[in-house]
Amino acid sequence: MMSKEADRMLRVALVGNPNSGKSTVFNLLTGLRQQTGNFPGVTVEIKTGRMRFPSGKEATLIDFPGTYSLYPTSSDEKLVTAVMSNPEDAFFPDALVYIADVTHLERHLLLLTQIIDLHLPVILALNMSDTAQEMGIKVNTAKLMDQLGIPIVSISGRKEDNIQKLLSEVEKILKTPTRTADNVFFYKLSDSQKQIADAVRHNLGIENPYRALLLVHHGDWLPFLHKQQREVLRTIAETKDFQSLRAQVDETLDRYDRFVPIVRDAIQHPPAFPSTATDRLDAVLTHRLWGPFIFAAVMLLIFQAIFDWSGYPMDAIESGFGILSEGVQSILGEGWFTELLTDGILAGLSGILVFVPQIALLFLLIAILEEVGYMARVVFMFDKTMRRFGMNGRSVISLISGSACAVPAIMSSRTIGNWQERLITVMVTPFISCSARIPVYLVLIGLAVPAVKVGGVLSAQTLVFGSMYALGVIAALLSGWAMKKWLRTREPSFLAIELPEYRMPHWKNVWLSVWEKVVAFVAGAGKIILVVSIVLWALSRFGPGNAILEATQQAHKEAVEMQLDSNQTGDLVQQRRLEASFAGKMGKSFEPVIRPLGYDWKIGIALLTSFAAREVFTGTLAVLYNMGSEEGDINNRDENAAKATLRSKMKTETFSDTGQPVYSLATALSLLVFYALAMQCFSTLAVVRRETGSWKWAALQFFAMSLLAYFGAWTVYQIFS
Amino acid sequence: MQRRYRTIPDLKINESACTISISDAALACKLTAMGVLPGTRIEMVRTSPFGNAYYVKVDGIRIALREEEAASILLEV
Repeated sequence: MMSKEADRMLRVALVGNPNSGKSTVFNLLTGLRQQTGNFPGVTVEIKTGRMRFPSGKEATLIDFPGTYSLYPTSSDEKLVTAVMSNPEDAFFPDALVYIADVTHLERHLLLLTQIIDLHLPVILALNMSDTAQEMGIKVNTAKLMDQLGIPIVSISGRKEDNIQKLLSEVEKILKTPTRTADNVFFYKLSDSQKQIADAVRHNLGIENPYRALLLVHHGDWLPFLHKQQREVLRTIAETKDFQSLRAQVDETLDRYDRFVPIVRDAIQHPPAFPSTATDRLDAVLTHRLWGPFIFAAVMLLIFQAIFDWSGYPMDAIESGFGILSEGVQSILGEGWFTELLTDGILAGLSGILVFVPQIALLFLLIAILEEVGYMARVVFMFDKTMRRFGMNGRSVISLISGSACAVPAIMSSRTIGNWQERLITVMVTPFISCSARIPVYLVLIGLAVPAVKVGGVLSAQTLVFGSMYALGVIAALLSGWAMKKWLRTREPSFLAIELPEYRMPHWKNVWLSVWEKVVAFVAGAGKIILVVSIVLWALSRFGPGNAILEATQQAHKEAVEMQLDSNQTGDLVQQRRLEASFAGKMGKSFEPVIRPLGYDWKIGIALLTSFAAREVFTGTLAVLYNMGSEEGDINNRDENAAKATLRSKMKTETFSDTGQPVYSLATALSLLVFYALAMQCFSTLAVVRRETGSWKWAALQFFAMSLLAYFGAWTVYQIFS
Repeated sequence: MQRRYRTIPDLKINESACTISISDAALACKLTAMGVLPGTRIEMVRTSPFGNAYYVKVDGIRIALREEEAASILLEV
């Protein structure tokens, strides 16, 4: 045990307020050597990376969420308190680097003084020293160092100034932890707080009085405490009549009283802050009228960009996989193993990777908006609107991200402090039309909606496409509203958000953020898509008893009678085999359920296969309607021969009992509504389970969305048929 | 009787006033941690497009506050 402890990688923590430039420093020190891991108990992911010291030694760098204080108001911030107050924690650092914005140092030191009082070895990094210099701010580092009693380094994360110096300082305190003397505290505990700390030490054996006090403050939620310990802490608080909130405010004010004079003494500001570019920009960007207008324009631009730019790489990926799959087929020959590779694994991989360009592009644009500081303004502008629907201004970011992929979007809800608002955001985000729905929309609209102009301007197809997005947004907002009526908690909810200065995006941060989101999608959603894809392949490849074999023989016989060529025979065989497979049987037994929506059993199979990834829908239909294998790729976004063929095949399809045509405008619209509203993504459900901590919410989401989709589709079918 | 204090919603655009205290304990905790302290000057910059939120400046930093948050900050008359 001892040797293991000595061998383990040293841990360095990065802490600081929001907007201190912490993540820039983290990205600078670790680059792509980053990982995210789950933190048990508070459903927050924690980012770690490898950092290398000038000596060549390495340590794990842990990036903690930006927080103002050890008295947290969101699950993000709770993580910091949970780790810092528990030396047994797997993330408990051997040394800390506290990043502070030196241009606003007076309001960046609260958390630092709390960390000093926990007697953790810490270095203060005065970030943005380049900006400070430009602004004419003079910092007397020696004086600060003397007063705070910790090492201080002036750095610039953006200009990469003095980073080596910071690293060597960190290495120094790792070697010889220069902790503050045990009896020196920034905040002097009151007499009754001292008694409380004594009682905690006596009962739980916690020596540091400030840590003892933190435990009493947070005893009801700190994840590492046992039930018994919670009891003890509660009893101590009750007997000493401890008022947590009040004590928190008093302590905070007391700390400010102590460190503000120190900062003022050591830092000379120029006489006044000039009116900055930020003020002039905000006069327009957060204007009562222009603000929302510009936001709408920005959103339109983003979506326009996605449609215009991501098509090319998507097509390239699809055709790349097509070639690969043909290659595998020609090398291995026919057989179930080849099919497993091509129709199961490669199809699954292609289904994952084809979305990467779109997701990367959307998250690139979102990351830029976030980096320049615009997202905080969006939160400010739409807080009221979102609150009506049970959410929070911060939910807007999750909902926008949801239009790429719900998986990273749901993970971005962690900054929402109020549990109910966060839960509602998690529950309704999947209603937003994600990139996987786009191919389905495009094919269905292309098939059903005539390419005419409405009012001479907008094409009817564009209009229906836009309505699908609107439907998703409306469904998200209304279900948020319904959940708000149903849930009702009295937990406090905050907006209180800092609106940072506008600045040019720091590209390294942008790229790393995009990378992180893409990895979240590929690793989170991708794994599940792959598994489901393989399961579905098996379901459509195998059937009960000899059903597949018989179907194949029958198809060959028919082909001979109809004098089909080898390609056409192959297509017919494929179609008949799918019909006879487990998936086919499921689709048929499913038909009575979906008949009221205007679907036959073939669409039923397509709906089932959509659970791997929604865009599989079109591929399945192509097989079922016996499309020629030579007619190209149905998922191609442009009007092509494949689509035209599918359209004509679908048009001639009739219900076997009534002889009515299956495919009509009503069916297409009903399918569109179904795909817009239905929960058809196992990956999202898995993330919802993880983020909410139970299957309960994921199950509720699945059933509620499916029911809504069913009745929505039914209504539309009844209206239009 | 005239009130002894005002709150942010009472301020006109570009008007500023000094903070006396924060009336709600949970909010006080959050706001003081962000640097909204008794004695600091708060300047009203603008209200949000759909109302109910305020854009204020506190000592050179910009903060967005909800109606309840803004109303809990008691200001000198």
